[in-house]
Amino acid sequence: MKKVRLYTLSTCPWCRKAKQYFTKNKIPFENIDYDLATEEEQEAIMDQMDEYGGTGEFPFAIIGKDSVCGFDPDEYARLLGKHK
Amino acid sequence: MSAESRKRDLRFLFGPIVDALGYKFSPDAELVDFCLEQEVKLEEKHGIPFCPCQAITKDRKRNMKIVCPCIPFHRKHYDAMKRCWCGLYVHKDVTDPDTLKQIPASKVL
Repeated sequence: MKKVRLYTLSTCPWCRKAKQYFTKNKIPFENIDYDLATEEEQEAIMDQMDEYGGTGEFPFAIIGKDSVCGFDPDEYARLLGKHK
Repeated sequence: MSAESRKRDLRFLFGPIVDALGYKFSPDAELVDFCLEQEVKLEEKHGIPFCPCQAITKDRKRNMKIVCPCIPFHRKHYDAMKRCWCGLYVHKDVTDPDTLKQIPASKVL
């Protein structure tokens, strides 16, 4: 299975939905809350998001070599080769 | 001032602004309540009610573009989604916010 990294904000309702999606579907994922991270971690997250064309909008998922900006279960399922 | 009181204040302050922009509070009352609650917390922490779904960085100019309601700074993007990024506001003609998806700015602009 592709590796999933999920960047979120603790204040964001769509980030909660994204976490619920991966948890409910038993898809292992690594999660970091940007707003609860250290300054150094935040800079590293923004740099990585920039590399994928992100603009600071959350949730931001990196699935394998692809990224998904925003809560998009259809796109998560497509990239993971799963049916909804 | 209590969080509930400040939430009411923000609703009172933001309502007329977004109305003039062609938007309204989402019919999803639970989402609206949650987002306003997060904005009150962000205001307590940073002094400004930032969008709860966008990154606050060291770049002040960039941060000013995510102060709620941030619609004027993202007009084309939000108009294409018929909602703002966090979903607190939707176009006035929207009755079912569940049909609206988050679309990244890069796919719209």
